[in-house]
Amino acid sequence: MRKSAWKAALAAGLLCGVFGAETAQAEMASAAMLSNTCDACHGPNGNSYGPASPSIAGMNAYYLTETMTRYASGSRPSTIMGRIARGYTEDEIKAIAEHFAAQKPERHFAQDSDAQAVELGQRLTRDLCDSCHEDDGYAAEDYPILAGQMMPYLRNNLADFESGMRDLENNPTMSAKERRKKIRTLQDLRDKHGAAGVEAVVQFYGSRR
Amino acid sequence: MTQNMNRRGFLKFSGSAAAIAGAGIAVPHIARAAGGKVVVVGGGVGGATTARYLKLHDSAIDVTLIEPNATYHTCFLSNEVLSGERTMDQIAVTFDGLRGLGVNVVKDTVTGIDPASKMVTTTGSGSFSYDHCVVAPGISLKLDGFTGVSDAMFDTITHAWKAGPQTALLRRQLEAMPDGGTFCLVAPPNPFRCPPGPYERVSQIAMYFKHHKPKSKIVIIDRKDKFSKQGLFMQAWKDLYGYGTDNSLIRWVKAAEAGEIAAIDPSTMTVATDFENVKADVINYIPPQRAGEIALTAGLANDSGWCEINKLTFESVAHPGIYVLGDAAVATKMPKSGYAANSQGKVCAAAIAAALAGQEPGTPSYVNTCYSIAGRDYGFSVAAVYRYDAENNAIAGVKGAGGLTPVDASAEVRRREVEFAYSWYNNIVRDTWG
Repeated sequence: MRKSAWKAALAAGLLCGVFGAETAQAEMASAAMLSNTCDACHGPNGNSYGPASPSIAGMNAYYLTETMTRYASGSRPSTIMGRIARGYTEDEIKAIAEHFAAQKPERHFAQDSDAQAVELGQRLTRDLCDSCHEDDGYAAEDYPILAGQMMPYLRNNLADFESGMRDLENNPTMSAKERRKKIRTLQDLRDKHGAAGVEAVVQFYGSRR
Repeated sequence: MTQNMNRRGFLKFSGSAAAIAGAGIAVPHIARAAGGKVVVVGGGVGGATTARYLKLHDSAIDVTLIEPNATYHTCFLSNEVLSGERTMDQIAVTFDGLRGLGVNVVKDTVTGIDPASKMVTTTGSGSFSYDHCVVAPGISLKLDGFTGVSDAMFDTITHAWKAGPQTALLRRQLEAMPDGGTFCLVAPPNPFRCPPGPYERVSQIAMYFKHHKPKSKIVIIDRKDKFSKQGLFMQAWKDLYGYGTDNSLIRWVKAAEAGEIAAIDPSTMTVATDFENVKADVINYIPPQRAGEIALTAGLANDSGWCEINKLTFESVAHPGIYVLGDAAVATKMPKSGYAANSQGKVCAAAIAAALAGQEPGTPSYVNTCYSIAGRDYGFSVAAVYRYDAENNAIAGVKGAGGLTPVDASAEVRRREVEFAYSWYNNIVRDTWG
């Protein structure tokens, strides 16, 4: 379902004209050459040493392509990624996404967490998040891996969902059903469990090894 | 947009992106293990990245890296040592990661490179023959003829533009300075290592003064009328350090207002210009710069003291078979930054690995990202994605991409940029030294 939503977005011209780079004159650089330039911020082979820059190794290529595309267009907010994403063509973005999708996730940055928060987070995520972010967030098939992701990154993005900076209602890469479900789930998390619940979710996923 | 399917041999050899990546190595496999000998001169960002990526390309390549220091201190984040936010140990890296990959790391100083016999000579370890030689010597200082300026001055007036003992000395001087004292920084003319560096340094020292020595002042005597990220720094100084008010912690004197410098005198601790004598408790003189000494000795530099290179491979224009990258190279329009040196190291390693395998170099891709931390939770950045522009022989930034953090970015964006600056540090260190 998710993949078909993405294909629909492609067909709807989501990708047209968002990248600063036009068709390259020379032949395209290899996927490895393009992707290696990312590693100095995202870590060797896309596995981050933290504290905040997210690991991108092993993420599914659809998600990475969609994310870069939305950074480039500005429809997903960023500090620096919009400026970088606009430097690549559509083909290059795809090559980079496939490269990182094929890397093995390595969780070598231990993040501090509170045992009680992690326990609460496990209960909350299994109740609220696990039907999409399956296997305690380790699954990568349809949605981004959350297990072992950098906590400041998770915290910032949950804050952006809450503030509306990340606008779920107008996310063209999710189906209407997916959008409704995610909005409702995040609302439930905040309304029923408060800031402590949000932080527990962050700490649970961030502390997975 | 059509995919160019008519690729040259290199990509055919390397196979599909997924196949490469599936092998768990982030670089293309070269078709045959060609081996070959590469000597890398200098263990900073450019040299270490090249050495590491050569080994990742093909572990059969015999890589020797020669570096005089057993421990390398990164210039990046060394300004946080000056403000007391970070220790010297926290900017120290070793070469154990490279050794673990099979790089032969030799602690020595290179005295000469002979392109005819393809031989590198050292002070104490004899000679090393090479098929390809990579020279990444960073910068050397080109002292001005001002009164008081000499190599001996640096025990009293630091340059602190190569991280290490000079960084520690400047920190001690700032700690010993009384509240109400003056710190004077003499900023260098273009081109120089780390264009935003002097202004981040001033910002970090201003943060230290604000919290620990609030009656103190900073004077920048500049050799330029404008500088990197100027709008962002000035906004930060207004937001944090009273810039533009009578009570400003920082005074910036641009070249047009400073006129000529006559003296930087350690005996009187004075910087004398056409218009004023700045008497200071601590002076930081960042001299004009050129390529590191060995590049000059080996005849790799032009009349301006920098090394011209083929921007697709970083091979020296003066001496084929020798490659120069990082701050020493003329890599127009990439800046002399750590991230640029790291990116160039990957391009250079790919070109050398291809050459050793009897292949043409692939198409390069280059990136620069550079963060500055102007105060607590106050960061900003500049970024660029580059392609080779054959028409202008330039490493040209992609139009419509890159650029600076907006001057009116929110406080939350500035806070996040500090988080990403620290992440940048942790990850570039791993990506460079392993």
